[in-house]
Amino acid sequence: MIWKYLRTMNHRRIGIMYILFGIIYFFRAGLDALFIRAQLAIPNNDFWVFQGEKYNEVFTTHGTLMIFFVAMPLLLGLMNIAVPLQIGARDLAFPFLNALGFWLFFAGSLFFNIAFFINMTPEVGWTGYTPLSRAEYTPGAGTEFYVFGLQISGLGTIFTALNLIVTIMRHRAPGMKYTRMPLFAWATLITSFLILIAFTVLAIALYLLMFDRLFGTGFFSGEEGDPIFWQHLFWIFGHPEVYILALPAFGIFSDIIATFSRKRIFGYPVMVVSITLIGFLGFMVWSHHMFTVGLGPMANTFFAITTMAIAVPTGIKVFNWLFTMRGGVIHFTTPMLFALGFIPSFVMGGVTGVMLSVSAADFQFHDTHFVVAHFHYVIIASTILGVFAGLYYWYPKITGYILDEKLGKWHFWTFLIGFHLTFFPMHITGLEGMPRRVYTYTQADGIFLLNAASTVGAFLMGISMLFAVWNVYITHKKGEKVGNDPWNGRTLEWTEASPAPEHTFEPMPIVDEIDAFWFAKIENRSLATTLAVRIKPLEQETIQPFFIAMALLVICTGLTFTWYWLTIAGAVLLFSLLIVRSFTDERESFYGKEDPYE
Amino acid sequence: MKKIVWLFMLIFLAGCNITVLQPKSETASEQAFLINFSFWLMMIVVVTVFTLFIRFVYKYRFTEKRKDDLPEDVKGNRKLEITWIVLPILLLIVLAVPTIAITYEQSAKAPQDRKKNGVHIDVIGKQFSWTFQYENGKKEMNRLVIPEGEPIIFHLTSEDVIHSFWAPKLGGKVDVMPGKEITYEIKKPEKGSYQGKCAEYCGLAHANMTFKTKVVAKEDYQEYLIQESQ
Amino acid sequence: MNSQEAALFQDKKIGFFIYLGVEAIMFAVLFATYFIFTPAAKGPYPTEVFEARTVLLSSFFLLSSSGTLLIAEKGIEKKNQTKVIVGLGATLLCAFAFLGLEIHEFYTFVQEGYGITTSIFLASFYVLVGLHAAHVAFGIGWMIVLFLHYYRPKVSYSLYMEKQIIFSYYWHFVDVVWVFIILLVYLPYL
Repeated sequence: MIWKYLRTMNHRRIGIMYILFGIIYFFRAGLDALFIRAQLAIPNNDFWVFQGEKYNEVFTTHGTLMIFFVAMPLLLGLMNIAVPLQIGARDLAFPFLNALGFWLFFAGSLFFNIAFFINMTPEVGWTGYTPLSRAEYTPGAGTEFYVFGLQISGLGTIFTALNLIVTIMRHRAPGMKYTRMPLFAWATLITSFLILIAFTVLAIALYLLMFDRLFGTGFFSGEEGDPIFWQHLFWIFGHPEVYILALPAFGIFSDIIATFSRKRIFGYPVMVVSITLIGFLGFMVWSHHMFTVGLGPMANTFFAITTMAIAVPTGIKVFNWLFTMRGGVIHFTTPMLFALGFIPSFVMGGVTGVMLSVSAADFQFHDTHFVVAHFHYVIIASTILGVFAGLYYWYPKITGYILDEKLGKWHFWTFLIGFHLTFFPMHITGLEGMPRRVYTYTQADGIFLLNAASTVGAFLMGISMLFAVWNVYITHKKGEKVGNDPWNGRTLEWTEASPAPEHTFEPMPIVDEIDAFWFAKIENRSLATTLAVRIKPLEQETIQPFFIAMALLVICTGLTFTWYWLTIAGAVLLFSLLIVRSFTDERESFYGKEDPYE
Repeated sequence: MKKIVWLFMLIFLAGCNITVLQPKSETASEQAFLINFSFWLMMIVVVTVFTLFIRFVYKYRFTEKRKDDLPEDVKGNRKLEITWIVLPILLLIVLAVPTIAITYEQSAKAPQDRKKNGVHIDVIGKQFSWTFQYENGKKEMNRLVIPEGEPIIFHLTSEDVIHSFWAPKLGGKVDVMPGKEITYEIKKPEKGSYQGKCAEYCGLAHANMTFKTKVVAKEDYQEYLIQESQ
Repeated sequence: MNSQEAALFQDKKIGFFIYLGVEAIMFAVLFATYFIFTPAAKGPYPTEVFEARTVLLSSFFLLSSSGTLLIAEKGIEKKNQTKVIVGLGATLLCAFAFLGLEIHEFYTFVQEGYGITTSIFLASFYVLVGLHAAHVAFGIGWMIVLFLHYYRPKVSYSLYMEKQIIFSYYWHFVDVVWVFIILLVYLPYL
């Protein structure tokens, strides 16, 4: 079975692997979070080893893992599984590239995680601010693991984004116009464009940092170059990244809220426009992370205004979700509960976002626990709740089983309560003057009880995940298969078997309106189908993507320890593999034959 | 839901003595005003959304009676949608006006004339301590003494990585950059002793990079300047 | 090319154009880096470093390689074997000449003491022009592989055609980047 997955190009299998590793890293990063909270539980604490160096390592790992190796793969996994099924594509446009994208993510994440086992964990924060991340202040190979881990996995993310764009542009079912696409597919499309720009900028930032660290250039040094330049590049990536995490979740929630309100989404065109607008504005706000670096009054004001502006399309979406429920019949299934938990939580994160955009007030908020509270509110409420909602929702399509509803609700409530209990007090500790990334505080700071509450909340979140694990175990043990359409869904994925078969959409449905499957069900008819469709993407089973990614891993290991012989060996391996690939192309056996339709 | 209401109660109760909402200088007062102002403005949004949310979720919940109801097929509502496009914009304009005014005045700037009226102090950050240098050349580590009621102009530089200079009761933070001087002004500090800290992660002992600030009467300040540093 | 192959090719074309967009962003950021740090406060002024002759010569080879590649494109369209071979062969030779000159240029700079660590201007010069040179080197490898494909008996014409067309997009893109390098990196300081 492992051998099969190593060689697969199928979008559902690749999606499963993304989700599997996303969850594994979620547990590791979650454990890191518990260490952080344990250390901060009481003033002047001496919990285990988490003072100074180890604490710095743990928050660096927590942030980097959660953003790059938890949120990203979980979302990419869901996109991989659900988007083709939703739009009537029989796979992603480039299955080989899809496999390669996953294995690159895997190689990057493996590389980053190895650092822990050889005691070289990076300790520069997930933002890797220069000049702290330059070799003179963080000697040793730790930061290289950050640089190359992100570089490799970022490359994979770019490939997958490109792949999703082409899939959505070219592989929709007949009649599935852009104006009839489910909102998750729309969100995926816009997100993919954001990824292409944002991750490319990050790639160059890391490329320059690599030169700074390994070859002695001075791009980000204080004397010669400009440390702020790193911050600009990082946040030109980093802020769109927030929307890369949030927009797909918005899409998931849109589909789920419509499904379980038994009503179509309210104001579909405005929803699409606002996704696009958020994506666009997302690139114009990056300097609000840098209000305190002295960019001057003009820049501070400009970025304050653009940041406020982004609240408008976000607000539109919230009201449209609310009015989708109005007049519907709301079924409180587990996915819907996560969606309902999302709305108020996200709005709380959103309004603190507007407060943070007030640049002069941000001089107080900046880099305190208030900011920590804010971004956990938005990211957990959107991405994490969204991923949970999506996993419960699409679990039948992924595995053929439906997760237990009762345990799912336990998971939801403990998680939600734990989440608010953890992060709500941080608003206040932040205003009390507690900076982020500190491992201790004193009794005199007067923030003991609030921190203790946060710690309790964090452990509650940890416990809630045990319900999820137990749920998966129980569900698979019971092994009750479900039919095509367990949720009474609206979109095309529910016309297919659960789990989604190897060869989907044979015959291909014809779509003549939004939520076509739902309206067909209401009118007691089945969707019209056709056999005359474009060719599906070509696939074969091959181990090459795995080895290509591993070759990159070898190159980066060589660079990290400056074993240049290893780098050269890796490069030789990489290029040989690329050449082998070009001669074993899955199209070789397909091209040059007669066209069956001509 | 109850829990959230309870938590909001907590913020109001705690709000009475939260550090940055008890400002001890004109600069910090303006910032506290903005925090309060934006908070209450945003409460309008929160209350609106929460009210609608609770109402809709309760009213349109699934019940046995509504088992076979098929909701009416609503595509949208132009008027409503325009309402929640326009109202937030108005709300944000109200917020933007004081934001711009205060940001314009308070933002940290490129190096300024050292002859500008006020007390000029050089702040030098390095891993992991603060050095304060006064106009007569006196230097002291991790202890800042300033006169009350005067504009205090800090000239900040770092010797190594980026730090951030922050005394929460006296004003917001400003980053301390290597290779580039930034100036930041705190207006009319009030007498008292305050905590100061580094707010930008700067390495191993970042959490311990603190300093004490003492705001004293003008005469005491003059006296302090001529004392030997401790 | 039959209609199914055409559909797959269209996918690939769009995908590759998007990829070139990614490359364009990469180079754009590096150009921005170059603008920010050039001329540097410390170290040599660019005019002391750059030498017009090498730039002219290498530009001549690289830009004409785009022209010779057009011959190969014509050839593949008309199924004219000579044109394909001559066009690709000439392009390959030009690419080698360009890369040789580029290596020579870098080598001379380093000999003169203008290494990557000498100044921030040189650092941003090397990371930009070096990345472009790496693209040329990659293109050379690609072309050699194309030749191998061309002489393989098994490969179908439509598949080879697709491979060559995709390559030519890449090569023209690399050429366009070079034009920007001439205009923005060298020209202001010659």
